[in-house]
Amino acid sequence: MTWWLDFSSDAFITAFYLYCASFISFAIAVAGKRWSNRKPEDHTNRWGKIGFGLAVVGWLAHLTFFFTRWYGGGHIPTSNMYEFMTFLGMAIMLAFIVVHLIYRNMILGAFTLPLVIIIIAYASVFPSEVQPLIPALNNVWLKIHVTTAATGEAFFAVGFAAALMQLIRVVDFTRTDKAGKRSQFWTEFSLFVIIVLIGFLVAVFAFRGAGYESNFSQETVTIDDNGVANSEVKEVKYSLPPIVAPYNSDTISFQSFIGMKEPLFESPSWLNGVNAGRKLNTVIWSIIAGIVLYGLLRLIARKPLAAVIHPHLSDIDPEDLEEISYRAIAIGFPIFTLGALIFAMIWAQIAWSRFWGWDPKEVWALVTFLFYSVYLHLRLSRGWQGTRSAWLAVIGFLVVMFTLIGVNLVIAGLHSYAGV
Amino acid sequence: MFQNTKCECGHQNPVGTVLCESCGKPLVEDLLVDDNTPLEMRYDGVARRSQKANPHIVDRIWNFFSSVKIAVYLIALTLLGASLGTIFQQESTLINMTENSEFAAYYKERYGTLGVIYHALGLSRTYESWWFILLLVMIGTSLVVCSLDRVLPLYRALSKQQIRKHLQFINRQQVVYAETLHGDQEQWLQQFGQQLKRKRYRVWKEDGALLAEKNRFSRWGPYINHIGLILFLLAVLARGIPAWHMDQYLALYEGETRQIPDTNYYVKNDKFIVEYYNEDELAENQKGTKVVKLYETKARLYECTEACDDPIKAPVLTEVEQHDIRVNSALSHKGLKLYQNSFQERVRFISVTPSLMDATSGKALGSFDLLMDDPKEKYEVGDYVLTLNDYYPDFTLDEQSRPMTKTRDPNNPAFVFRVEGPGLASKGEIYIYFPMPSETSKYYEKILNDSFKQRGDNTGKLAIRVENPIVDGKMNNIKYSEYTTYLNIRVDRAMPYIWVGAAISMIGLIMGFYWQHRRIWLRIDGDKLSLGGHTNKNSFGLRADVTWALGRTGIEVSPKSLDNRRNLR
Ligand code: HEM
Repeated sequence: MTWWLDFSSDAFITAFYLYCASFISFAIAVAGKRWSNRKPEDHTNRWGKIGFGLAVVGWLAHLTFFFTRWYGGGHIPTSNMYEFMTFLGMAIMLAFIVVHLIYRNMILGAFTLPLVIIIIAYASVFPSEVQPLIPALNNVWLKIHVTTAATGEAFFAVGFAAALMQLIRVVDFTRTDKAGKRSQFWTEFSLFVIIVLIGFLVAVFAFRGAGYESNFSQETVTIDDNGVANSEVKEVKYSLPPIVAPYNSDTISFQSFIGMKEPLFESPSWLNGVNAGRKLNTVIWSIIAGIVLYGLLRLIARKPLAAVIHPHLSDIDPEDLEEISYRAIAIGFPIFTLGALIFAMIWAQIAWSRFWGWDPKEVWALVTFLFYSVYLHLRLSRGWQGTRSAWLAVIGFLVVMFTLIGVNLVIAGLHSYAGV
Repeated sequence: MFQNTKCECGHQNPVGTVLCESCGKPLVEDLLVDDNTPLEMRYDGVARRSQKANPHIVDRIWNFFSSVKIAVYLIALTLLGASLGTIFQQESTLINMTENSEFAAYYKERYGTLGVIYHALGLSRTYESWWFILLLVMIGTSLVVCSLDRVLPLYRALSKQQIRKHLQFINRQQVVYAETLHGDQEQWLQQFGQQLKRKRYRVWKEDGALLAEKNRFSRWGPYINHIGLILFLLAVLARGIPAWHMDQYLALYEGETRQIPDTNYYVKNDKFIVEYYNEDELAENQKGTKVVKLYETKARLYECTEACDDPIKAPVLTEVEQHDIRVNSALSHKGLKLYQNSFQERVRFISVTPSLMDATSGKALGSFDLLMDDPKEKYEVGDYVLTLNDYYPDFTLDEQSRPMTKTRDPNNPAFVFRVEGPGLASKGEIYIYFPMPSETSKYYEKILNDSFKQRGDNTGKLAIRVENPIVDGKMNNIKYSEYTTYLNIRVDRAMPYIWVGAAISMIGLIMGFYWQHRRIWLRIDGDKLSLGGHTNKNSFGLRADVTWALGRTGIEVSPKSLDNRRNLR
């Protein structure tokens, strides 16, 4: 069995590198149009095809990872955060392949692949070991529910990528009026958020590579029903240098980091639990790393990043991008409804005796559904096509990501997997 | 707004019509300027009920609910409301609290000032709040009104379409093509129609004009989806009918039989099983912890057939179902469902087999089976007869040091027997017996028996206790339960409607999203060919169809050049 699992993780790494190669090809397709003396369309087509080919091969490796891990682990690998996020990455690739085959837009990959790469790198932040199933998760409906919900979300992700392209395509850097400035700012801000995510990954993997570790303990006192005070000591391990320590905690061990010998702050009291401090610390590190990374990129480019990408998109029609974005969402919506709501209700009915319980994760799946139905209805009215609906597609995907990750990190409910 | 509703083609249109129902010519003044801007094709421009000339109060309400804008607001508000409910825990998740003051204290202690505000605003009960339910009801109303408002006019418009359309109508579609036609027009038209048929269009022709249409059914998708949603919402509301809904918890130790409150059913826990994963099955970060692999209640469901409400006679039970209840596998009988909820590890005796002993010689005089929760009145033990005088299932002493029982559960039972037999006074002797081997109960047993002796109720020459309670490390002469299982008992008669609603909704979504209604109008005036195409979504696909069919008849165009929006730029 371990042989299969080892093979499976090799396949995963192969997929990861193939995706990176595919991204580079797509980037060349977009950016290198005026390099050689070839016709720009031929250049884009050629490198776009290479990129797509690499993406498909990478996806096959990813599928291999999935099925060998399923075989080696004894159950479908969708039962913890690592497995779920890798599955989501695979689903986004599937959605990308489908949409690419419909529209054959050679540039969509330049935006979808980085998203997939970020998602599977994020997956690798979580413990990747196969864990045995707890009884509640041991049901076919769960498998059906998780896989279809993720597939629906994957189409939303492709819709997001196309919408972001559309926004960068239509943003006009020559405008100096208020509305023009506002769209410049928000487009750039979207890119900044993505860079912060990359910053998070860089920080986590850099310190993990360096073997960084500090430990804290926190004592919590609870009064039970009989009025007896119980104190409980919890320990927490930081893998990023602690800028904030958990509220009211003691340092067990502290590995110093460029002269930092103790935490700079203690997290506020209203952040409950030892893990809250660690999560806040991670957020702070991500933002720092993101700002550094963004600053470096700005130094190299000497203009807003959106302005760097913008000229390369000039020969795609924004209408085409809008159509791709809308179509991806339209394909995803029924799948999402089926997977994230109907199958979820069937499973909840079987496992927890109620089809709906207003658990935070359920509520957020509903919020996602309602958000995209607002999007669809708004598109029926005049004035909501174009940039506005592209923004809705971008925000919609933020709602999806919050449902998948934010709810687990910020709000705990029945659905929580182990968090970081 | 007064408007001439009679079109030049002679058709009399209802007030509110945007495009003539017959020939498609724009009727609204500001649309008449022929500037090639694409026409708004929703509902084919027919009048809806909500566009009446002189709205009455009923019409106003109707108009309110029929507006998609209002629907969007309602959906957005529901979305916001629902997400507010996830900021802090909901009261319904705090199952061990009931009083409002308890909840208030909890939110204050756990979340501080924000928690106090959250609770005071009623957000801790978001999903049961009047405003949230009102929003759902309003969405439901809006769904009904809005669908009725549009589906009938749309049906009318689509079921009687004219083939030859006004030129303005054709030239102002999303997909347009205009060209001078050379050669045999009739033959070309024939051929073009043929090609569209190969793309599964239905084609109608009328001298020099053509209408091709496919997948009209997909236009009904949204309405079918909305009908499903209405049914779903109604079913959710119907769960409020008391007889349709039951939700309670039952704790059962092994061997226990209990009535399910408010029903004629009894459930018995034959045995409870828990399995944990072995150390080598666990992941690195789980080692040393206990991870449950399986837990199940071997349950039996009985129906009471006789003497059910008789306080004197024991009810007669008939077994109706046997099932191993697990987390993902409930016992189900005629709409009644028993789910595995949780369990607790708590040892409790089911029955013991104590012996009556001669206290001085330590010789057993005989033994008997004693049920902890349902002891018999009389026991014959050897030559002796034991009568149960008193029974305290959960023994304790009250303030005046008198024996009493805390609860009706046999957590620490005590039995008071009158023993009659050879060598005893005719009124018999009184002994108290505590089966639980804990120190306190043995202490109570001793002092109480001593006090009986002082009062002259017994002579102390007999004793009741279990012989050889432990053999080979296992309990002997004692049957006990290790676990208490918690079952969730549910009746939910609205479920079938919920599933039907969801299924209809899903069918509607698939119809509406995976097929698109496409129409192509074409007319030839002299040698001039005009083509217009419309689809409710995916104009990319429609352009591809038109390009393909034109190409097959010898007219090469690029799909993009057909896009009317693009030609404007
Ligand atoms: C949670 C509630 C709702 C959901 C999930 C929902 C869902 C949908 C969906 C998926 C579509 C198809 C959109 C498209 O084809 O792009 C649609 C269309 C539509 N919905 Fe809703 N809807 C909801 C509530 C409402 C309400 C309350 C109204 C009432 C005004 C409404 C009015 C419409 C209309 C007029 C259409 C267009 C129908 C057509 O294309 O002919 N919807 N809805």
